Amino acid sequence: MKLDQVARGLLLREFVSGFILAMKYFFKPKATINYPFEMGHRGPRFRGEHALRRYPNGEERCIACKLCEAICPAQAITIEAGPRRNDGTRRTTRYDIDMVKCIYCGMCQEACPVDAIVEGPNSEFSVETREELLYDKQKLLDNGDRWEREIARNIAIDAPYR
Amino acid sequence: MTFWETVGLVALTALKSLVLLSALLVFIAYALLADRKIWAAVQLRRGPNVVGPFGLFQSFADLIKFVIKEPVIPAGANKAIFLLAPMVFATLALASWAVIPLADGWAIADINVGITYIFAISSLGVYGVIMGGWASNSKYAFLGALRSAAQMISYEVSLGFVIICVLLCAGSLNLSRIVMAQDTSLGLFGWYWFWLFPMFVVFFISALAETNRPPFDLPEAESELVAGYMVEYSSTPYLLFMLGEYVAIMTMCALGTVLFLGGWLSPIPFAPFTWVPGLIWFALKASFLFFMIAMVKAMVPRYRYDQLMRLGWKVFLPLSLVSVVVVAFVLKLTGLAPGA
Amino acid sequence: MTKLLVDGTEVDVPADFTLLQACEVAGAEIPRFCFHERLSIAGNCRMCLVELKGAPKPVASCAYAVKDCRPGPNGEPPEVLTRSGLTKKAREGVMEFLLINHPLDCPICDQGGHCDLQDQAMAYGVDSTRYKENKRAVEEKYIGPLVRTAMNRCIHCTRCVRFLAEVAGVPDLGAIGRGEDMEITSYLENAMGSELQGNVADLCPVGALVPKPQSYNNRPWELTKTDSIDVMDAVGSAIRVDVRGREVMQISPRVNEEINEEWISDKTRQIVDGLRMQRLDRPFVRENGRLRPASWGEAFAAIAAKVKGADPKKIGAVVGDLAGVEEIFALKELMGSLGTANTDCRQGGEKIDPAWGRAAYTFNPTIPGIEEADAILLVGTNPRLEASLLNVRIRKRWRMAPLAVGLIGEEVDLTYPHLYLGAGAETLSELAAGKHSFAETLSKAERPLVIVGSAALSRADGAAVLAAAAGLAKSVGAVKPEWNGFAVLHSAAARVGALDLGFVPGEGGLDFAGITAPGALDVVFNLGSDEVDVGAGAFVIYQGTHGDRGAMRADVILPGAAYTEKSATYVNTEGRVQMTNRAGFPPGDAREDWAILRALSDVLGHKLPFDSLGALRRALYAAHPHLAGIDAIEAADVVKAVDALAGLGGSLGKEAFGPAFADFFMTNPIARASRVMAECSSVAHGRTLQAAE
Repeated sequence: MKLDQVARGLLLREFVSGFILAMKYFFKPKATINYPFEMGHRGPRFRGEHALRRYPNGEERCIACKLCEAICPAQAITIEAGPRRNDGTRRTTRYDIDMVKCIYCGMCQEACPVDAIVEGPNSEFSVETREELLYDKQKLLDNGDRWEREIARNIAIDAPYR
Repeated sequence: MTFWETVGLVALTALKSLVLLSALLVFIAYALLADRKIWAAVQLRRGPNVVGPFGLFQSFADLIKFVIKEPVIPAGANKAIFLLAPMVFATLALASWAVIPLADGWAIADINVGITYIFAISSLGVYGVIMGGWASNSKYAFLGALRSAAQMISYEVSLGFVIICVLLCAGSLNLSRIVMAQDTSLGLFGWYWFWLFPMFVVFFISALAETNRPPFDLPEAESELVAGYMVEYSSTPYLLFMLGEYVAIMTMCALGTVLFLGGWLSPIPFAPFTWVPGLIWFALKASFLFFMIAMVKAMVPRYRYDQLMRLGWKVFLPLSLVSVVVVAFVLKLTGLAPGA
Repeated sequence: MTKLLVDGTEVDVPADFTLLQACEVAGAEIPRFCFHERLSIAGNCRMCLVELKGAPKPVASCAYAVKDCRPGPNGEPPEVLTRSGLTKKAREGVMEFLLINHPLDCPICDQGGHCDLQDQAMAYGVDSTRYKENKRAVEEKYIGPLVRTAMNRCIHCTRCVRFLAEVAGVPDLGAIGRGEDMEITSYLENAMGSELQGNVADLCPVGALVPKPQSYNNRPWELTKTDSIDVMDAVGSAIRVDVRGREVMQISPRVNEEINEEWISDKTRQIVDGLRMQRLDRPFVRENGRLRPASWGEAFAAIAAKVKGADPKKIGAVVGDLAGVEEIFALKELMGSLGTANTDCRQGGEKIDPAWGRAAYTFNPTIPGIEEADAILLVGTNPRLEASLLNVRIRKRWRMAPLAVGLIGEEVDLTYPHLYLGAGAETLSELAAGKHSFAETLSKAERPLVIVGSAALSRADGAAVLAAAAGLAKSVGAVKPEWNGFAVLHSAAARVGALDLGFVPGEGGLDFAGITAPGALDVVFNLGSDEVDVGAGAFVIYQGTHGDRGAMRADVILPGAAYTEKSATYVNTEGRVQMTNRAGFPPGDAREDWAILRALSDVLGHKLPFDSLGALRRALYAAHPHLAGIDAIEAADVVKAVDALAGLGGSLGKEAFGPAFADFFMTNPIARASRVMAECSSVAHGRTLQAAE
């Protein structure tokens, strides 16, 4: 061990330079945001919580073609279809998404021919029990109603690139 | 002393202890928060900021969480020792504070061998760790406990020599006297940190090792031993371990303040600074040391175990040993030795 | 044989082949919509256009015979190009025309995923459209309860029209209008009158005709497909059972040239919902006159308590129409070990004795053999309902060349012209005596065929009818070493198998009527017989699949597996041994039937010597070697059997032959549980009423 090395060690040169560096960072603006009170930017293609959309006249868009179920790589979607009671049109009698299985890849919204199933901008849907993450059709339609404005805006922004 | 005088003394001491403990625990609660906040700040994070304004109630929320959780006791654990260990650890850590003078005359027991008492009590703390590690009946816990024991013993040696240096200068084992010995007209430059600077550095680093703080947190090295001797602990027993650890850190800060930073003395030895109560100065100095400890955690990567041992035995031990000799010679030759 | 060059490959094909067939021989794939191997050639979709060297424009290969191709100038073989630029362009053009009016509603179309138009548009079409105008709109038609229409999607291949006119023989569909205005319709919005109408949905290359009961409820990619055998009639059609999860979603035909070609009857196809409804999913025990759910242990204990104290002579067992050979064998072994001779499988009361030889109760000429017959006499049977696909064969034979068909029994529409001879057995005697002109037709025929229906054998004088028919067959020369023209046509899938096993009364045993007579026996084991009530007094153990009449009468119910839920052997009316495959699991606590009997035998203290289906089959094949020959018919000595039958004699009754069953759509518990069958039945009855008015 060289003498100057010892001297440097005794005088804590590295400690002091490290301390100065750390103090510089100490006073820098924070990289993290104050999350629950402010949100980070989310692009129009953000893939969050799923929603089933409706047409402006209130008619549900989904036509039970089952393409999302077929494409889903995690097999998180379960659909049962049948003619609707009042008018005999093709509708889902059951549309379940297992949000625990879902990997949020967005294939379902890519596959959807009528933009019915979409992954909306919402990422805050934590729940207290596992069962609450097994979404059924009503929950998805409610999501669609709640987020329709944002979803429609995002689709419009993204439309030129599709 | 009559019977009633004895009773009165005991009651008074108990009351003083209670006040000290409450104040200390509240102080530690915020020290813990500060520790996390400082660490976060260096990493450009915000740290806990949800519970209360600026996260000020975070530690109390943690306390409640720990207390209401279910304590899990492993099937193969020695139940009695498993539960005893954290209590031993926390109680011993708190016991040290009996002799620490927070201001002039403000010590619960201003005993003549105060420094020896602290040294003995903090050495006993390793028993809590060993008991916890052994009683857990887990490889990780046991390895962590053994590391902890080896580490604490190694650094106590050099810590002892550092303290001897101070004692040589102060000429007393009484902590208040040590502080008074630093009361010169030089103000903060009359304190021992200036005259014994290398020893102050060795003390600081040894204190880190003694309290298992980063970069010497090998006993709980989460990347290899999961959580070391605490791996099987949960809920209140875990809380006691954590509490003991932070009390030990604060003890070291207080000890450092007393030995090197002039205890409750004002850094500038004239009015109006001397009007400020000694307790404030003491708290500020201890907080500064704690801030340094927290910064070290944020700055320095963890040592390897062989590096830790090398540093303890091959650098600090000879260095402090030589220092004792040098200090003794200097004191003798210059005639500055107290009582000479 | 004609030599031909297809894409440079030389092939040698018979001169009557079409170009399309020749191209397939050469391994070239030709897209098509209207062409179908079993239907006449229409040539109206134009998708099969290929380039023929020397022809001025692409030719429709399905309608162009190989013999019409001209050789090259130097006598080279004619050359067909299926991958040339011209062919490709022609196909793209045709596809574009077809798609002009085809709606883009694949996502809501049930055909999506197994659609010929979808596949071929992907393979041979272009990726964009030049058509901006509105597509045509066509009204939906009602054509019956089994087929839903979406006529916008129709591409006018006319496969459905040709199928009904040619194969089914009920020309209820037709095309009206020309060009863009052409529509497929049943003219008056009537239901199609064929018992094979479900097949038009299979034939439709697009989603214009789709199965109505399965509307929207499945996609082809989510179905697990299992090859199996149908048990709705004694023909044993080859079917494919499509299952999603544990639920049977649809049943579709499988090609078996020996039996059903590629058609199945509507009952076979649309029985699906019956497999879900009214299932027995746990054992039941009758307590204080009410059935209550019980565990297997309780049910077995209740049975053991009755059987152990019973006199073997007062125990009996009957087998219904849908039981597989395995469970009949297990039941027979169990009854044998209990020492009872009261066993019978002839639910309809057919007077057949296996001792007469196997040829006495099977359809000896086999179904493909019908195509060789040149005169057919039907005695007391309506093959159109009792064995729809056998009737299709007779019709196919009639379409090949004129065929004399005589019918004794109910006068019905058989879909082909026939001579109605009379209603009762006396007509049979007249024929035998040569008093009827049809007797001469039969005698003159080289390969006459006499088909005796099960209804005719179920009469009190059934044995005499059988003897008379056999005597007639013998006298007209229907039974020769090279031609077996004597046939018994059963209507129940389990019957021939049970007769093969000899599940008939033993020495001094009671027959079906005897076992089920009130007060006759103490304990009756009923394996899936729901059409005959067991009389009062007996303790009835019912093992079956549905809560039907048998279960209502039962004192203990053991839930078994339906034919889609077990691997079981069935012997069809020809004597052909076939095996079903398990497509799903029985519901709830229900188990495979042989396993129930094996478990019960243990409780009764007569443990059957097999622990697995494999072991059971080994024992079965050791006892009845011919059952090991799956899909094969064991040759029987018809001459000897017919001689024996003819010698039986007996006096014939006067009454007319009745139908084998009252309602085609309600013949077994599965069908009775099915809503679709109920709807079909009401449609069929409405139709009958209309005709009677």
